[in-house]
Amino acid sequence: MQEYLNIGRTDPQKRLVVERVRDFKEIYEVFDKDRAASQSERCIQCGDPYCLNKCPLHNYIPQWLKSVAEKDLDFAFRLANEPSPFPEVMGRVCPHDRLCEGDCTLNDGHGAITIGSVETFIVEEGFKNGLKPQFPGIISDKKVAIIGSGPAGLSCATYLLRSGIAVTMYERGDRAGGLLTYGIPNFKLDKKIIERRVKLLQEAGLELVLNTEVGRDITFEEIADKHDAMFIGIGATVAKKAGIAGEKAPNVYKAMDYLTNLQRKNFKLTYEKKFDFKDLDVVVVGGGDTAMDCLRSAKREGARSVTCLYRRDAHNMPGSQKEYKNAMEEGVDFTFCVSPKDIVLNEAGRAIAVEVVRTTLGIKDESGRQKMEEIKGSEYRVSADVIIMSLGFDPATPSFLAENGIETNSWGGVIINEETHETTTAGVYAGGDCFRGADLVVTAAFDGREAARSIVKSLLG
Amino acid sequence: MMEYNDLLRSFKDNCGFGLIANIKNRASHENLEGAITALERMMHRGAVAADGKTGDGSGLLLSIPTAFMRKEAKAKNVELPDQFAVATVFTKDRKQLETIEKICTKNDLKVVLVRDVPVDVNALGAQAKASLPNIIQLFIIANSIMASERFDALLYLSRKESEHALVDDRNFYISSMSSKVISYKGLVMPTHIKEFYKDLQDTDFKISFALFHQRFSTNTLPEWRLAQPFRAVAHNGEINSVEGNRFNVEIKSESIKSEVFTDEELSRILPILQLASSDSASADNFLEFLLVNGMDFFKAARAVIPSAWQNEPHMDPELRAFYEYQSTVFEAWDGPAAFSLTDGRYIGCVLDRNGLRPSKYIITKDDTLLIASEYGVMDIDEDNIKERGRLKSGQMIGLDLKYGKVLKDKQINDYLKSSNSYMKWLNEHMIYLQEHVEDQYKSQCDFDSTELIQRQRYFNVTQEIVEQVVEPMIRDGKEAVGSMGDDTPLAAFSNKQRSFTDFFKQKFAQVTNPPIDPIREKVVMSLNTGFGEAHNILGELPSHAHRLKAISPVITFEKLEVLKSFGDKKSPSYQDFYKNATFSTAFDTDLKSALDNLVKEVITSVSNDKVRIVILDDAELSKTKRVIPMAMAIGRLNHALLENKIRHLVSLVAATSEVFDSHSAAVLIGYGTSAIYPNLLFSTVASELTKTKYSDITCTEALKSVHGSINAGILKIMSKMGIATVASYRNTGLFDIIGLGRDITNECFHGSHVQIPGLSYADIDAKLKENHKAAYNEDGFNTIFPLAIGGYYKFYNGQEYHDFGPDVIHAIHAFVKTGDKKDYEKFKSTVNNRGLKFIRDFFEFKSDRAAIDISEVESKEKIFKRFASAAMSLGSISPEAHETLAMAMNQIGAQSNSGEGGEDSVRFDTNRNSKIKQVASGRFGVTPAYLRSAEEIQIKVAQGAKPGEGGQLPGHKVTELIARLRHTIPGVTLISPPPHHDIYSIEDLAQLIFDLKQVNPKARIAVKLVSTAGVGTIAAGVAKAYADKIIISGADGGTGAAPLTSIKYAGSPWELGLSEAHNALKVNDLRRLVEVQTDGGLKTGLDVVKAAMLGAESYAFGTAVLTIVGCKMLRICHLNKCSVGIATQNQKLREEFFEGHVHQVVNYFTLLAEDVRSIMASLGYKTLEELVGRSDLLKVVNDPFAQKFDFSSVLHRVEGINTRQEPFNKPFDDNAFEKAILKDVMPAIKHPDHPVRITREIQNIHRSFGALISGEIAQYYGDAGLKKDTITMELSGIAGQAFGAFLINGISVYLDGVANDYIGKGLHGGKIVITSKNEGEEFSAGGNTCLYGATSGKLYISGNVGERFAVRNSGALAIVEGAGDNACEYMTGGIIVILGETGINFGAGMTGGVAFVYDKKHDFIENVNSELVEAVRIDTDDGDEARHYLKRLLKEYLVETSSKKARKILDNYRQDIRDFWLVRPKNLKKLPLNADKGD
Repeated sequence: MQEYLNIGRTDPQKRLVVERVRDFKEIYEVFDKDRAASQSERCIQCGDPYCLNKCPLHNYIPQWLKSVAEKDLDFAFRLANEPSPFPEVMGRVCPHDRLCEGDCTLNDGHGAITIGSVETFIVEEGFKNGLKPQFPGIISDKKVAIIGSGPAGLSCATYLLRSGIAVTMYERGDRAGGLLTYGIPNFKLDKKIIERRVKLLQEAGLELVLNTEVGRDITFEEIADKHDAMFIGIGATVAKKAGIAGEKAPNVYKAMDYLTNLQRKNFKLTYEKKFDFKDLDVVVVGGGDTAMDCLRSAKREGARSVTCLYRRDAHNMPGSQKEYKNAMEEGVDFTFCVSPKDIVLNEAGRAIAVEVVRTTLGIKDESGRQKMEEIKGSEYRVSADVIIMSLGFDPATPSFLAENGIETNSWGGVIINEETHETTTAGVYAGGDCFRGADLVVTAAFDGREAARSIVKSLLG
Repeated sequence: MMEYNDLLRSFKDNCGFGLIANIKNRASHENLEGAITALERMMHRGAVAADGKTGDGSGLLLSIPTAFMRKEAKAKNVELPDQFAVATVFTKDRKQLETIEKICTKNDLKVVLVRDVPVDVNALGAQAKASLPNIIQLFIIANSIMASERFDALLYLSRKESEHALVDDRNFYISSMSSKVISYKGLVMPTHIKEFYKDLQDTDFKISFALFHQRFSTNTLPEWRLAQPFRAVAHNGEINSVEGNRFNVEIKSESIKSEVFTDEELSRILPILQLASSDSASADNFLEFLLVNGMDFFKAARAVIPSAWQNEPHMDPELRAFYEYQSTVFEAWDGPAAFSLTDGRYIGCVLDRNGLRPSKYIITKDDTLLIASEYGVMDIDEDNIKERGRLKSGQMIGLDLKYGKVLKDKQINDYLKSSNSYMKWLNEHMIYLQEHVEDQYKSQCDFDSTELIQRQRYFNVTQEIVEQVVEPMIRDGKEAVGSMGDDTPLAAFSNKQRSFTDFFKQKFAQVTNPPIDPIREKVVMSLNTGFGEAHNILGELPSHAHRLKAISPVITFEKLEVLKSFGDKKSPSYQDFYKNATFSTAFDTDLKSALDNLVKEVITSVSNDKVRIVILDDAELSKTKRVIPMAMAIGRLNHALLENKIRHLVSLVAATSEVFDSHSAAVLIGYGTSAIYPNLLFSTVASELTKTKYSDITCTEALKSVHGSINAGILKIMSKMGIATVASYRNTGLFDIIGLGRDITNECFHGSHVQIPGLSYADIDAKLKENHKAAYNEDGFNTIFPLAIGGYYKFYNGQEYHDFGPDVIHAIHAFVKTGDKKDYEKFKSTVNNRGLKFIRDFFEFKSDRAAIDISEVESKEKIFKRFASAAMSLGSISPEAHETLAMAMNQIGAQSNSGEGGEDSVRFDTNRNSKIKQVASGRFGVTPAYLRSAEEIQIKVAQGAKPGEGGQLPGHKVTELIARLRHTIPGVTLISPPPHHDIYSIEDLAQLIFDLKQVNPKARIAVKLVSTAGVGTIAAGVAKAYADKIIISGADGGTGAAPLTSIKYAGSPWELGLSEAHNALKVNDLRRLVEVQTDGGLKTGLDVVKAAMLGAESYAFGTAVLTIVGCKMLRICHLNKCSVGIATQNQKLREEFFEGHVHQVVNYFTLLAEDVRSIMASLGYKTLEELVGRSDLLKVVNDPFAQKFDFSSVLHRVEGINTRQEPFNKPFDDNAFEKAILKDVMPAIKHPDHPVRITREIQNIHRSFGALISGEIAQYYGDAGLKKDTITMELSGIAGQAFGAFLINGISVYLDGVANDYIGKGLHGGKIVITSKNEGEEFSAGGNTCLYGATSGKLYISGNVGERFAVRNSGALAIVEGAGDNACEYMTGGIIVILGETGINFGAGMTGGVAFVYDKKHDFIENVNSELVEAVRIDTDDGDEARHYLKRLLKEYLVETSSKKARKILDNYRQDIRDFWLVRPKNLKKLPLNADKGD
């Protein structure tokens, strides 16, 4: 260990741009054993492991780095899978540069440890070698229902099943995974990864009820009657609006609709043909990870041009810098410091351009973000065949919440006791985006795990 | 259990001592005069009270002046028979005399005369006068005809009975009661003893021998009875193991049968030891008891103070057999000791096994034997001297008065070894477990995996323990090393489950006694352990050799099996004196009753079933049963067995899962365990070994490594306390207990001091329960990786709290960059809202004043003056970091601290100069100019992270710069020894302070101590040794490298030590003389103000300032890979990644000072000065958890002055002698082209000669000094200690005579030549520890010198004609020539320089410690250069000394060169030590 002076940081190999923009396969190669070991050996094993402190799950990062360096894969696999319900997912989709790697001691000129890539390596290599997280089987007579099969629900299910508690999971979609399946494009997270995890859980005793929306296909009471506790992880699925004219034009799309349809297409399921963007000029409004996903997907779909419009500068983008870079490489155009004012429609009512105004950044506000001001008279138009609005999400508030005493706050977030994750209705727990608003996979996984901890405690004592 | 108030008034004492005797037993008044003169000339070894006249006590133990006593009796019309005795009694109540008379009468004795001893109270100081008792002599005769042996026995019996009868009166004391000796002692200065005791002026007062003693007590509350000598003994030193020895005497007392006394009489004599007495007094009690009961004089002495024998392979096997036999019932009273003792017939002196006190003797042609701490205490004509020598480590010298014969060590040993058939007895009866073990470390490899995980969880075996503690032991065979300090809460305050042994903090030696180096001085250490009944100590029988023996108290499964087989009736090897039984410590009821039941069960089986080996086993832990903490079970049983008087029958063995490191093992041993089988540790190792990463090591090898590491760790812990053998360490309970309740402490850990009493059995049990439940809990959160992750050594989110956690580090980095108050506030609130984590968190303010406006509060600049950076050496940190701190501290008018390792002289007169210069045990870079550049010189006695230990700078960190500053060679590993080799006791510290005050009279001398119960006593002693400032460091301080067990478990938090030291100084009226500083994790204004209220006037910051310049708490300082360029010498890291700036440090202290000011304003106080010592402004927070603890001792407040009143604490000795000479040589200093020559007579009272003048020269010329021979001094006589200390270039000193200890200490370019009429190898001409830390210069002595010659020499050239043990220890440079014999352990820890040794007898090679050095012959072609170089050296030596020996060698050079060895480090660049691991 502590080899950081002799070994530099190297990211995993990315597939060539010309090749990768032609398909939806993952762009990163997984480390091989030697590379994983040598990268891990760079770790200082510091007294204040900032990485695990910053990690919302507080993963055993220095510990598994040491194991990988020592080439003890079995041990690393166990360490990685203990606090994290699906480390191979987090290894791929976490914004490491803002979390563990961002806080890494060596991220001050030496180059942070490639934590995410090593994490992916551990699990992929482990699965390849036949390692598997162990489950005891259903050994308790308690049953828990989970509404929503996204990261929060899957995480909660993982820890309940590991405690031997039966879990029924209700999902309104046709596949489990929520955002992991239909939100994140395949080139970032291969869907087989999710299928593998879901399958593991099913083997462990998970009962998965698909195509079943609570309140429509089944009532909340029905579920409640059959279970000893419930967890709600229904995410944040309502797209935020820009509140400008023309938003409703038929060729102005919500980001999630686009991504979901694309994934359906990749699954070879039926999808709406309007989302075929070949040879079109695509404009995406927004600067988050979802915006990047749309941009890069559109590029892969063969769009003529793909442009991102973002109000602040590159430095202030909420998404991961790594994804921004990848998008740049793949030929996405970025226009920074422009705020959309209007969507220009043609006579047929279709959008043909976005009217934007230039902005300038001022001093930092309390949250540390720079304040944005519009420059008067700087308006101009960006023409487009297709406009995708990617401005974030708010939680949906299905009626069963209020009907069952589950209170929500002003923007629709479920109110919970943050220590126990219990909602205002006893025995009903919640977490993930439906409580936080649109947030990270890793925070949803954390909520699911911690809710499970409280549920186990309340059910098993 | 010692209460807090006693703690404040307790003391340690050291001294000057000696004896004088007429070999032919001829009585004379001259003998008495001689003894008194000797005492007077050792005044500087004692101390003087504030009244300037009351000494700490001095005294004489004399042969009875028969003629004088008869004369006195006759004057009162009493005609004394041939057989009579005199008792000297101190009493304030004359009625008590009747009690003695009555007891005497009952015992067939008769008091025939009560004589008031005539005294002159004008000879006393006020304090002594106030406590003066009546001093009365009782003349006692036998009431019927009896043999003189019986008469003596009855005198002893009567005295003991009288003492028991009047035990409650501390003023009552019988200082002697004997037909052979009589005591004259008291609280009187040696110069006044004759004036005080008028008897001593009478020329008819004739004696044949005298033991004399001058005491230096650390406190100022001396008592008459504490003056020495005692009834048989005068002792210089300190018995480090005394707690254990006292306990063991009680155990031994259970089975005593005497040929002198009947059992009934014995019952009246017991207990052997008097309560509330000093360590020396206890040793005296015990030795006297042995002698009175007819034990042979020499056997008794050597049983109590044995020589090192266990690891001395060259010792005569018969003598070893004697010692091994004695060890079945006796353990060493261990510690620095020069003991002189007498029983009236014999008189003798014995030195401890490590030679830590000086003991020098002279035999004259006219039959006088004089032994004293120093040469020159009596004027003896050179022509009259027959022998001038000294005792070596572990040696004894005796005198048989009856036959007028001096007995040397060898004669005594020959007598001892042949006095019984010890060898035969041992051969026939003693059994070594090893003999019966086929394959060790095998069976544990098939470890029991049942519930292994649950056991690991229950016993706190986390992934961190496995990785940080166990793995290094497997890999490196030694304890894990860490860096930085301990920033976690005490076990008692933690909300996590912690190991029970975490409540115990190791004690360590500082100032009054030295720690030992267990690696380099391994030869004196031993872990030998025996099992079986302890027999009557007064009888020597073959059957007493029945013992099972192990070489370590930590045993393997195989050895445990062997041990069990000897006590198992079903086994063929069964012997009933080893009968054993195993007792489970598992329980499902409650802790307290489980403990009670266990005790009952064990007592019954020992009393009724004759069980002799009790094995406690915690293996029955299960889902339903938890277990009693092993230390609790052991401690409680140890006492219960003693209370039932059956402790001597049994040995306690612990088969336990709790021992995972040396600390946990040491706790068990300290409270009475004979052996430990660490079952969970071994099975954890075995289970780890199944991992592929260990494919290169076998399980057997791994277990062996781990076993070895624990053994080495135990040695280290013992050595910190200066204890050499585990037998002496057992039962000492040398721990501070923090936070356990009084009931638990009293019942289980009797004798240990509990600080902040708190948690009850129920509290402990509740935690056990919770943890037990968690350990067996199977939920989904620890199923894939079942162990807890840890968080005790390093931060882990959600686990143990760390005060320098990531959030705090981020917050510090943020605000020091901006200097923004808002950012500081964020940091402050993170720290101040941490909850009840540290002692200070339990206090809040309650001011007696209304808040004031902040503008009224003193300026931040005034507060800056109270701030200092803690010592961090250039070496441990980079030059960039070191200079940044210096510049920043200078900029704000605070102090920076150079640390140990020198400082570049180009910095001295600039803003990069460190105002504080440190002097530590390695003496690296300590030169006259370095000392002269200081505003304050800090003597680092101990360091918070690792008190009682030395340090090491690995070779790869020793760059050109560092080597230059330390006067060593780049790449050579540098070792700092655990003790200062010139501070083995308090009078030694006084000497070092005196030295430094001479070199730099303008500097204030500070002494850095580490917090522990009893530090108040030490602090008082340090103040009496004339220190100007005392630093009480918290045990949480940082380090570049130290064993994890030291970082975590040695010493206590600063709050405890600070409060105790402050109060003890006040009780002793010493606080006004010294400034008190504290350090240890101080961060915010709240910390500073609380520290002030607990007694600190100034505040030092270590880890905090490092974080300010960029430290991220990586805890890899020992690896030289610090990624922020601080704790590294790596060029790239320093240049590219060090981001510390002066303004950051300035920002921190500015914001901190403002924080302090705002608190002061809220309290209504304008100056910090007013808040010092105001613990009454603190109160315990109102919180249920806080209510569990008793913080009264921390908040205790003694009335009196709270702060230093004078800038300097001026020594008693004003060094007028050298001041006068300085005047005479001043012209030469002013005009160096006009050399001067000075001639003077010198005496042993003239100390540190040369230091004052050298300092003065350094002031003007720096270390370059003057050119050769500018000042030449010709002296004659006996020079005092530290002759030629820090002697600088340009001064040459010629002494016709001899000198004492520490010749040429810190020698820097000067020349010292000592010659005497009595020259050559057989005559001593110099004392111990010469050339300590010398950097250059020359020393020629045409005689032999004492122990540890040239220790840590890094550049001086010396030639002497003989040397003692441990010569050239830790040497890093220079050339040493020894033209005669040396002692053992030559060249231990020597990493540089060379030595030539003339070995005529061809036995030198046995003396070489070959770990680091090799001895080669030089009469070869390869040795050509060396051979001729040596010749040149000898020629110069001959010119300077006219040495006969040198002439002879040169005359026969071709012949004699064959008898020379060249000793040199095996490889200067590559050492066999693993430097990274902090050896």
